[in-house]
Amino acid sequence: MALNLIKKALHEAENPIEVSLRESFQILEPKLRPPFPLTIPTQEEYSNLNNAILYGILCEPQLANVHLKHLHGIVTDGYRYFTSMLIKIVNDFYGKLFDSVKRQLISVAHETVYVSAVGFDELMVALLRQIVGGDFSEGNLWLCFEMVTLFLSKWDSLLEEEPLVLTFALYVFLRLLADHCRVSNVERIEALKRVEIDFCVKMIRENFHLCLKIGRDLLRLLQDLVHIPEFCAIWKDLLLNPSSFRNEGFADITQIYRTRTSSRYLLLRITPEMESQLRFLLTHVKLGSQKRYQVWFTKKFLATPERETLLTDMVRFICCAHHPSNEIIQSNVIQRWAVIGWLLKFGKKTHVEANMKLALFYDWLFFDDKADNIMNLEPAILLMVHSIPRYMEMTHSLLEFLFILLDNYDLDRKAMVLRGISSAFHILVRKGVVQSLDVLVSCDMLSPFLKESLRKLLPDLNMNCPAELQKSNILCSNTPSYL
Amino acid sequence: MDPEETLQSLKDIVPAAQNNINTKFIVLDKGRVTLEGQHKTCLALVADETAAVHFQLWGDECDAFEPGDIILLANGIFSYNRNNLVLRAGKRGKVEKVGEFTMTFVETPNMSEIHWVPDSINSKKYVQEAVISPHSRIFPPMH
Repeated sequence: MALNLIKKALHEAENPIEVSLRESFQILEPKLRPPFPLTIPTQEEYSNLNNAILYGILCEPQLANVHLKHLHGIVTDGYRYFTSMLIKIVNDFYGKLFDSVKRQLISVAHETVYVSAVGFDELMVALLRQIVGGDFSEGNLWLCFEMVTLFLSKWDSLLEEEPLVLTFALYVFLRLLADHCRVSNVERIEALKRVEIDFCVKMIRENFHLCLKIGRDLLRLLQDLVHIPEFCAIWKDLLLNPSSFRNEGFADITQIYRTRTSSRYLLLRITPEMESQLRFLLTHVKLGSQKRYQVWFTKKFLATPERETLLTDMVRFICCAHHPSNEIIQSNVIQRWAVIGWLLKFGKKTHVEANMKLALFYDWLFFDDKADNIMNLEPAILLMVHSIPRYMEMTHSLLEFLFILLDNYDLDRKAMVLRGISSAFHILVRKGVVQSLDVLVSCDMLSPFLKESLRKLLPDLNMNCPAELQKSNILCSNTPSYL
Repeated sequence: MDPEETLQSLKDIVPAAQNNINTKFIVLDKGRVTLEGQHKTCLALVADETAAVHFQLWGDECDAFEPGDIILLANGIFSYNRNNLVLRAGKRGKVEKVGEFTMTFVETPNMSEIHWVPDSINSKKYVQEAVISPHSRIFPPMH
């Protein structure tokens, strides 16, 4: 019988992981049927046997139970090796697997939770990352459904063994709900939405302490769901009745604003393939040579209008999860601000555009130099500064948006936002990310209103740096080429 | 032996009537598919970190590869085909997609846009005489 994990395309090289699993399976196949030998395998034999059993489970659904029994019988490492191979498969080629193999993979993922396999939490994360934002294809919705039902059905053991997995899942499903709620009257999606809402609400209402671990991006995501009655109620309680979450330490959402979100969460909404391509772009591609890469990236990940919502995740990933070394910053490799400028161009829908800008400025609003990272602020300021004078409308719309956020983002916590934005500007100048804000304040092409707002916001910041410094300021001489 | 260890850089390939080229490159652009007799054929611009070259796709290869694909060529041939200097797998060579996107490249020099002449000492060997064009004249650079 011809067994394979992957739908191999014409002229596509074999995947080395698949080859090694298949080889183990072919050699050991006669030993995969009972009665199983009782001899103790060497380390190498153990790995090969694990490979063979894994391959059997994935390719022979009708014999999966036999293979699983075999696995439980031989395991001596807490399933560590077995689970690590599963993670490799998911990260390296989940998308290419046959549908029957994907079904087996999910069922064996349940099993790893059931036995508390060493590393099952990483397997959950790997699977969550394969769910693509803005993708309404059947396969993607199927994976959403399978994962959210897995978390609900294994709720108690997850809570006991690895509660952070539930926090990761919450981040993912809050974000996916924003996509799924933009579609209505599609039966399949309605059902999925219902389960996703149940999961998220259960998490927030019953395990609020786990939700708090996400930090400020929790609120960024919840904000997009306020039109759903259950989340509207959660918002009301967050603002007016914080004690209803029965969390002693929680008194006000200010606490959540103050917690920077770890890059682990932001990575959850970028597939490993997107991650590797974006990181490649930002590490190896020289400014001026990026055009072809941008075309390929767009074709692969942003081909349909629904995919637009991914742009926000990408902006957040670049700001918070990809921090280049000084060497790269000083080289002629394309910089983060330029890639974000290019991505902003794709945000055609008003809500996507606003969400992207919010993602770009989100850490500005609550910036605290003790807890926050200046690298999260850097792309926004450089994008505004480098867009002068050729892409003035970019500078203008970003700065305008920042002042709109200042005035409207949270009326009850305006002082906090004011402090955040103002300290963000201060640290960017103090650390020399920009030499001064003069380039903005004395820019003839910038609206007088915005310049005045800047001066009002930062009365103590010296805007007028000496003319010589201005000349030596490389920021003024560079023209961006993201457009 | 790891085939990647013996890979040649595109800047070092020399026209010869031999299937002796093992290399890896990324597809930058693809032309229109045309029929040569009964077989489909299609010209592509491919490149690595050192040079670019025109690559001729043949038969089902024409549909199998897209811009952005990284290809491993084993036992390819760099020679004149209907007056065009192209790299191709030929009957004895093999092309395989091994990745996507994550490879850097240059578009100049283009080895197909060089005028080659037989070496004065060893007439079986070709040497570069002149650059016809720094870039591909068929697939202009994208800015």
